Amino acid sequence: MTDGRSVAADAESVDDLLEGVRDDGLAGYNYAYLDEHTKREVRRGVLKAIALPGHQVPFASREMPLARGWGTGGIQTSLSLLGPEDTFKVIDQGSDESVNAANIRRLATRTADVETTTDATEASVIQTRHRIPEEVLDDDQILVLQVPITDPLRRVDGSDDANRRRHAHGNYSKMWVALYENVVEYGEIKLSSRYPVLVDDRYLMDPSPIPRWDVSKLDDADNLFLFAAGREARMYAVPPHTDVEPLAFEDRQFQVERFSEQACAYCGSEDTFLTEVETDDGDRRYACNDTAFCEKRQTDSELSKAHHRGGTDHAWGPPTDPGVPYGTDRDREERRPAADASGGEGE
Amino acid sequence: MGYVAVEAGEDVIRRAEELFEKQRVAGESEQVSVEQVDEQFSRLTAQAMSEGGLYAPRLAAIAVKQAQGDTAEAAFLLRAYRSTLERWGSSTPTETAESFTTRRVSPAYKDVPGGQVLGATKDYTQRLLDFELTDDDGSDPTDDWDVEAEDPPQLRNVMDVLREQGLVHDPAGDSDGAEDGSEDGDGSESPGGTEPFDATRDPVTYPAPRSAVLQELARGETGAVTALGYSELRGYGQVHPTLGEVRTGELPVTIEHPYTGDEVEVTSATVTETECVVPIYEKSDDPQFSFGYGLVFGRNERKAIGMGILDAAIQLDGEGPAQDAEFVLDVVDGIDSFGFIEHLKLPHYVTFQSILDRIRSIRERTAAASPDADATPQEVNADD
Repeated sequence: MTDGRSVAADAESVDDLLEGVRDDGLAGYNYAYLDEHTKREVRRGVLKAIALPGHQVPFASREMPLARGWGTGGIQTSLSLLGPEDTFKVIDQGSDESVNAANIRRLATRTADVETTTDATEASVIQTRHRIPEEVLDDDQILVLQVPITDPLRRVDGSDDANRRRHAHGNYSKMWVALYENVVEYGEIKLSSRYPVLVDDRYLMDPSPIPRWDVSKLDDADNLFLFAAGREARMYAVPPHTDVEPLAFEDRQFQVERFSEQACAYCGSEDTFLTEVETDDGDRRYACNDTAFCEKRQTDSELSKAHHRGGTDHAWGPPTDPGVPYGTDRDREERRPAADASGGEGE
Repeated sequence: MGYVAVEAGEDVIRRAEELFEKQRVAGESEQVSVEQVDEQFSRLTAQAMSEGGLYAPRLAAIAVKQAQGDTAEAAFLLRAYRSTLERWGSSTPTETAESFTTRRVSPAYKDVPGGQVLGATKDYTQRLLDFELTDDDGSDPTDDWDVEAEDPPQLRNVMDVLREQGLVHDPAGDSDGAEDGSEDGDGSESPGGTEPFDATRDPVTYPAPRSAVLQELARGETGAVTALGYSELRGYGQVHPTLGEVRTGELPVTIEHPYTGDEVEVTSATVTETECVVPIYEKSDDPQFSFGYGLVFGRNERKAIGMGILDAAIQLDGEGPAQDAEFVLDVVDGIDSFGFIEHLKLPHYVTFQSILDRIRSIRERTAAASPDADATPQEVNADD
C-alpha cells in the first residue's frame, strides 16, 4: 500500500517529475490528491496511533475538496494508504450507494486510480461512516472510520485541554460518574451510538458513531481499525488483536440494539443490524443496513458472515440470540480463541 | 434497494451539480465576468480570501462566482485549493506603518502624528438605498477632484506613542512555555520561539501560542468573529477596548532574494489592521493597558476590530465565553463550522436506529415501573 508513483528519484528534468503527477487522474493534482509530504505525515501519524492503541494523535489535517465533517479525516487517511494495487470500498451508514460515499469513492478513483468494490471481502481498504461491515474482516484489510467527535470525554467536559490531561492520567472517573447518573435517572445507560470503550485497558476511546451492535467487532479483530477526524485533526487506531471493552457496570451490562422477532424484509436475516422504515401505508418495515451483504444473503440466505475465511469462524458482532446477554466476562472469554487467553493479564 | 433517505449513484450527483449551475445562468442577464466580481465586489472577494487564508484576488473572484456569492463556500474553495499548493518560502516581516495607507483613523486621540485620514468609507453617510444604481452609468464622482500628486505620508503607528510611555503591556513578554503547541514538535519552531506557529501545518493543542490564536482569528469567519467579539461588549466579558487606530492599506510583501539575500518587494496585499488597548491591569503596582491586535485581508473593519477584542479577551483568560481560547478557536472557523453544521443533512439512519432502541427501552422500563405516570421528556444522546 505504498505510492507506486511517488516522486521519481531518478527524474532528469522538471518535465520528468511532472510526468509522475500528470497521469489519468485529476489534472494538476498529485497522485491521490495530497502531496507526498502530507501523505507521509499522515502515515507517520497512523504508525504512532498503532503504537499507542486508542490514543488520539494530532495531525496537521489538510483542507480537502470535501466539506469538513463529511469524511475529510477518513479520506486523508485512505488516500495516504492507497496505491494503484489497492481495492477500495466506501460505505456511508451501511450503504455503498449513499451520495457522500459515491463522492468519496469518485475522488479516490479520479486521483488515486484504484479499483473499487462494494464487496467487503474484496477490498484492501474500506472507508466507512458509522458502520463496521457484517462480514468478518481479515488481517490484510484496513477499516478507516470517519470520526465526527474524537474524544469520548467530550460528553462530560468540552475542554480538549482538560480531557488530554485526563487521558494522560487515565482518569476516567467523570465518565463513570456520568454513566452511573444515567443508571440512577433512567435505570440503564442511555448512550446510543458512540459508545465509549476502553482500549487495551489504557485509553478511553470514542469508536465513532457506530451502533453498539458493532462495538464488539473492535475487540480482538484480525484487521486494523483506523479512526480519523479531519475537522478535529486527530487520528487513532485499534490494531489487530487488541482488547476493546465497552464501559459498563457489573449489574448494568452493555446492551446492543435489539430487533426482537424482526427479520430483514429483503433477505430474511435475523443476525444483522436492521434499520426500520415507516412505509407510506403506515407499516414499519425492517431491512438490513449493510446493503452489500444483504444482496449476497438474498442469493444465499444461509451465507455465513465468515463465508470467505475457509471455515475459520470468528466472533464478529453480538451474539444474535436475544436471550443471550452480551458483555459478561465469561461471554468475552468464550468469544476469544483459547490461545489468546494466556496473552493478557486480565482479571 | 428499498427506501433510503439520500441514496444515489454518481449520475444523480452530477445532475444535482448541473441543476446548481443552472441557477447561476438561468436568468436573462449577461454573465458576470470574473473581472467584474474582482473589481466591483472587492469586499466579497476580500472576505473569501480572509476566511480562506489565501490572498489571491482573481482566484477569489472565481470562487465567489462559482459559489454564487456564498462567502463560506467561496472561502472553502480557496482553502481546498490552497492545501494543494506547494510552499516555496516565507515572506519577511513587514512594518505596517510602512504600508501604503489609504485610511487611518484613531479613536483614541483627537489628533495623531500624520493626522486622521478618513479615506474611503461609508461610515458617516446615511444608509439610504440608492435607487439610481439601477441605471448606473459608472461615472466616477472623484473625476473632477483636484488632487496634488504627492507621496502619502508615512503614518506612524498610534500605539507606538503609548508604547514609548510604557503604558502598553507587551504580550510577547508572556512566556508561558506554550510557544510550541505541537505534540509532534518537528523542529520548525525556532529556539527563541519567534517563528510563528502555523496552524495549517501543525495541529493546534492547548494552551495555544498567541501566534496560533492570531492566525486562527485572522482566518475566522467574519460573522463569528464579530459575534464573539460583540459578546465581550454585550456583558459576557470585560473587554471594551479603545482603538488606537484602524488602518486600511496596501501592505508590501517582501521576500529575501534567493541570490543576493536582499529584501525585495514582490507584491502587496490589501489589509485592515487595528490595535486596541483595554484598561484592565495585570499588576496593580505597574498598571499597563492590556492589548489586542487585529489584522485581516481586505477592507473588513468589523472583523479586524472583532479580532482585536478577541485577542485581548483571550489574553485575559477570564470567565467570559470569549476569553476561553479553546472555545473561541474551536468555533470561530467558518470552514469547520459550516461543514459540520451541514453534515447533519447526511443520512443518519444507523445512529437514529440506535437512539430509537434506547428511547424505547427506557420508555418500556418507565411504563413498567409506573403505568399511570406520564412519560417525562427524556433526552437521548445523539451528538454525532
